[in-house]
Amino acid sequence: MKIFFSELYFELKKNRGAMTGVIIIILSLVIAIFAPLLAPHNPTEIFSDSLRLPPVFVSGGKPGFFFGTDDIGRDLLSRLIYGSRISLSVGFSVVVLSLITGTFLGVMAGFYGGLLDRIIMRLTDLIMSLPSILFAIVIVAVLGPGITNSIVAVSIVAVPNFIRIIRAQVMVEKNRQYVFAAKLFGAGNFRLMFVEILPNCIAPLIVQASLGFSDGILNVAALGFLGLGAQAPMSEWGTMLSDARSYIESSPWMVTLPGICILVTVLSFNLLGDGLRDALDPRLKKQN
Amino acid sequence: MSNNLLEIKDLNIFFKSDKNPDPIHAVRDLSFSLKQGEMLGVVGESGSGKSITNLALMGILGDSAIVRAEQCSLNNRELLNLKEHEWQKVRGGEISMIFQDPMTALNPFLTVEYQIVETILAHLNISKGEAKNKAIELLLQVGITSPKDRLKSYPFELSGGMAQRVMIAMAISTSPKLLIADEPTTALDVTIQKQILTLIKSLQEKNNMSVILVTHDLGVVSEFSERVQVMYAGELVETGRTSEIIKNPKHPYTFGLLSSRPGAVTRPAKTPLASIPGIVPAFHQRPAGCQFNPRCIHVLEDCKLGKIPIEHFVRCLHPMKETIV
Repeated sequence: MKIFFSELYFELKKNRGAMTGVIIIILSLVIAIFAPLLAPHNPTEIFSDSLRLPPVFVSGGKPGFFFGTDDIGRDLLSRLIYGSRISLSVGFSVVVLSLITGTFLGVMAGFYGGLLDRIIMRLTDLIMSLPSILFAIVIVAVLGPGITNSIVAVSIVAVPNFIRIIRAQVMVEKNRQYVFAAKLFGAGNFRLMFVEILPNCIAPLIVQASLGFSDGILNVAALGFLGLGAQAPMSEWGTMLSDARSYIESSPWMVTLPGICILVTVLSFNLLGDGLRDALDPRLKKQN
Repeated sequence: MSNNLLEIKDLNIFFKSDKNPDPIHAVRDLSFSLKQGEMLGVVGESGSGKSITNLALMGILGDSAIVRAEQCSLNNRELLNLKEHEWQKVRGGEISMIFQDPMTALNPFLTVEYQIVETILAHLNISKGEAKNKAIELLLQVGITSPKDRLKSYPFELSGGMAQRVMIAMAISTSPKLLIADEPTTALDVTIQKQILTLIKSLQEKNNMSVILVTHDLGVVSEFSERVQVMYAGELVETGRTSEIIKNPKHPYTFGLLSSRPGAVTRPAKTPLASIPGIVPAFHQRPAGCQFNPRCIHVLEDCKLGKIPIEHFVRCLHPMKETIV
């Protein structure tokens, strides 16, 4: 395991895009963790004398409100900083939830095959047959809007990807001789599945997890934009976008800044994901 | 009740197949027994049913296989009626197995320590610390120097011979009564071969363990095992003391195998080695009568009819009388 990760780091270091992604991710993590120290104002505090102020570097900006304020006079920079907390924890929860369920179901499907496999795979087909955001909207509509429910919805939508990847990998690995040998040394099915086989399937799982992170952030932001995700005072980027929509012409920074934040975070996770795939997939390695 | 560790009577193994309505008859009426502390060599071409028999003994042939036997018992305990959780105790506990290619038989993602310790913990009721000490002791026993460092290694850091030693250490960690060695040296180079076999032999004698040694190599059998059985097309064709069979094979197949070794029979220079013509018939094309009759050089009319019984430890109507020098 240790060797695996040090080798992974070695491969990853050679990939400039992935390293950029890592740096941005670390940076946003730092921002999210130290948000109360970094934010100049409380994100929900209303300055009724300074509505829709432009950023400080544009004429009309006021020092103290670096990125300006929104339509009811809240400091945009503080809201963006606090927003990173929500986005990162949303991405993390989505990945954890969908990773655990997806891995469990995928390993079961791949290992046992037969009827169980067919049931699980038809379920994933069912979820995948609808556009993911549409399906997430349906789930949130049923559960009711809110950040927790949108996390659940987005996680459910993300599960099939994990199931498919892990199932395919398990089906290859389960016929390897070390699995057979472990069985001959008296290992039970659960040991075979989760101790012997699963660690050998970890490479594509890591890639999918990092890509799932960005998908999660993006989908929850989309739900927020549609008014189904985080609710009013919460400074979630997608919700901020949606609130600022009507001011797109008069105060473009209110839409642009949260948009850029989503873009940069999602992009950095995608860069990392691609880098990981290049580092972990032996077929891609051979080509360069 | 018998004193034999392993007692097998009329073992038949069939495989169901989608294409054929009739199940494939892979092993026919195999009977043999093994005493405590004895080493039995099993020889035969690919497809002769050696490996399938071993897998049946470990109870992991899968759903497509039908295993029937009048008796198939280890220490007077019938194996075929065991439930899956009972099998898990037998596998690795009472019967252990080592494989042809040790490099693929170890999990590439887990350390040697983890794999040995887990095997021990699964079968013996001892603490993790004791298991680790036992693992070190076992590695020393199988001739691995600096076992503490090796415990931290991953399989890819080991050489083939070392990996096979680790496999052996795992196999004997639970002091099994029976060790099945399925071509343990085929994937290793010749110098390592002898070391590994000598190791297995010495462990067998020290632990009073029984060993089934499956191999292609008659030289190996003659040097290491007291008794040998020759299998062909799912049948036992000849069995007996190794020294006698090597000198005086009665079945034409055994004779053919023995005379195809380099230097087995004197032949003029630059002539090809002796060989047995043809190949083992496929499962669905098994001939009537003696299974070997299409390839036998001494075949007579009566060889092609009916079932040939084993008489005097050989399944042949016209046993050979020649000796191999």
